[in-house]
Amino acid sequence: MWRLVHLIAIAALIGSAGYVYRIKYQTILEAEQIVKLKHQINKAKDEIGVLHAEYEHLARPDRVQELADKLLQMQPLALNQIARVADIPEKNAAADSIGHKLEELGLGMSATPANGAAGATPPARSP
Amino acid sequence: MTAAILKTLRQRLMGGASRLISPAADKGRGRIRQLILLIGVAYLGIAAKLVHLGLSHEAPQTLKSAADLAAAGARPDLLDRNGAILATDVKTMSVFAEPKNIIDKDEAVELVTAVLPDVDAHELRERLNSRKGFIWIKRQITAKEQSEIYHLGLPGIGFWPENKRIYPNGPLGAHVIGFVDKDNIGIAGMEKYLDTQGLTDPHVPGFQVDPEALIPVKLSLDLKATQALRDELTQGLEKYRAKAAAGAILDVNTGEVIALESLPDYDPNDPPDMTKPTNIGKINRINVGTYEMGSTFKALTIAMALDSGKVSLGSHIDARESLRSGRFTIHDFHATHRVLTVPEVFTHSSNVGTARMALMVGVSGHQAFLRKMGQLDRLTTELPESARPQVPHHWGELNTMTIAFGQGLNVAPLQAVMGVAALVNGGHLMKPTFLVRDEAVAMANSEKVISDQTSESMRYLLRSNATHGSAGFANIDGYYVGAKTGTAQKIVGRRYSNDKVFTTFMAITPADKPKYLYLVVYDQPESAPGDGGYHTAAYNAGRVAGSLVRRVEPLEGHAPFPAPAHPFPLIARLGYGGDADRVGKE
Repeated sequence: MWRLVHLIAIAALIGSAGYVYRIKYQTILEAEQIVKLKHQINKAKDEIGVLHAEYEHLARPDRVQELADKLLQMQPLALNQIARVADIPEKNAAADSIGHKLEELGLGMSATPANGAAGATPPARSP
Repeated sequence: MTAAILKTLRQRLMGGASRLISPAADKGRGRIRQLILLIGVAYLGIAAKLVHLGLSHEAPQTLKSAADLAAAGARPDLLDRNGAILATDVKTMSVFAEPKNIIDKDEAVELVTAVLPDVDAHELRERLNSRKGFIWIKRQITAKEQSEIYHLGLPGIGFWPENKRIYPNGPLGAHVIGFVDKDNIGIAGMEKYLDTQGLTDPHVPGFQVDPEALIPVKLSLDLKATQALRDELTQGLEKYRAKAAAGAILDVNTGEVIALESLPDYDPNDPPDMTKPTNIGKINRINVGTYEMGSTFKALTIAMALDSGKVSLGSHIDARESLRSGRFTIHDFHATHRVLTVPEVFTHSSNVGTARMALMVGVSGHQAFLRKMGQLDRLTTELPESARPQVPHHWGELNTMTIAFGQGLNVAPLQAVMGVAALVNGGHLMKPTFLVRDEAVAMANSEKVISDQTSESMRYLLRSNATHGSAGFANIDGYYVGAKTGTAQKIVGRRYSNDKVFTTFMAITPADKPKYLYLVVYDQPESAPGDGGYHTAAYNAGRVAGSLVRRVEPLEGHAPFPAPAHPFPLIARLGYGGDADRVGKE
């Protein structure tokens, strides 16, 4: 009886020792992975930094100007080509000459079935 | 001492043992004694080592700490006001050696110099034979060089990552950005400012800064405006065959410098040795050069006269004859020989008129006003470079007369810009800054130097000079430009030269409610073909300023607008200048 208890105890001891051992090595492995990933992240960040610098270098305004002068057939912007949104005139009311004529004849627009209902084009979005 | 302590310890132990241990255990006494002896020796050894460590002068240095100390520290990125990168760190590899770990030094020198031909073999051998634990062989090598050295397989030679400062835009804004040395320490410009403000890795032992923790620093510069400025200045430099050019754009309401260029310039990636006399021309002329600002200074004089109350916009100033003072006579460049109104003095740029106005205020009043406007003391900004204005030692009436029209007082152009900005922004004198700043902060740190009415009068005068005076080339439709030219004769030997000039041009946009102040200066410009031999400011600096306005305003998001209906309400109430465009006829 006692022998069995001893055996079980020893087995449990060995088993738990093995388990702890495994966990410990797994932790070390994970820690190594973390360090490795951190290195990779840092390396990637450095590379991103280099790419940023390279992008800025390639997109520097004097280079863009030079390339535009050489490759694009465009004129320099003239000031009279710039306008504000507020300066654009309001859209004129749609001239509907046929509807006008119908109204004059006493045949109002209210009967038009397609008014706002199922049209081929969706109704304009309200602003 | 240690021995004595051990002895008493031993005695006490022995005594205790003899009392406890029965004679039967006497056999073990020898063994215990041996054990105690052994422990005693071990303790002595430790004590000896401690004494040795305490006495040795050199702290044992690990390779990591040595390399960290020697390697270039991290710096925060410099950004322009829109977030474009002006300066950034990239990682590079540097190759180092630990001399004491190198087995065959001659072989190492031979192999390394074969890969890196620009390393001096003799000097390297000398340094390898020194007693240092860590030396750099070459900083910032290429990936190819690194792999070649790596494959030499030499012990005691390794690589260490370092930060290298990169300026992706080359010379754009170089005088503001500055540059760093091989150890990433700021030498000039804002780079040096960062170091003095502790915004970089301080790089002292025990004070490591995580590069991630460095916050990018935003400058007030606008990269695109800077490029436009540099491009226009360069074109003008060629066209007018000038010796040098410089320009700046200032936001008059915040004091922010939007763009600053001084030509000839340099590439901060390959900085010049500024101590060499051949590089003296590459200084920042806006901050460090001091010049006679010529007629642009007349704006200050007229503002002073108006603000003193001795002169109003309707006053008449006698400019019929040249002004005599002792041996000297003051002439007008564009002489009118008649009585002029104040706006006419400005638009005709009358030396006699401004000199008379300065005399009305008097010498001490003139000095006090210029001091208040910051024209007589050194202007310090974030940039470490600055210059003291050259103020005459004995300032008499003649000095006041000449300084009134911009002769005899040399100031840094940035200083003059600061003064004129205060004249037009409602009278708030504020130090120019190279960092972003909002209007509330700028106004809180400003000083009210002239009244609102004087400021508005100055805007009116500048506007009328653009429509009727000498600054027509910069009167760009749609931006309501106000401007003033200045042509100062250069001193050659001890006389003012007639053909060598220093031209300045200042323009404000829009004149009714200014936002930007443009400054363009040319040193010794010549007349361009078709200009009839004229080399005065309007023909060179004025033209460049005009194209600059045309180019920069849309870049900054300002669309052209129709001329305002009531641009100058304060002085209109007094009956003047309701319409600046009619001033010439008034």
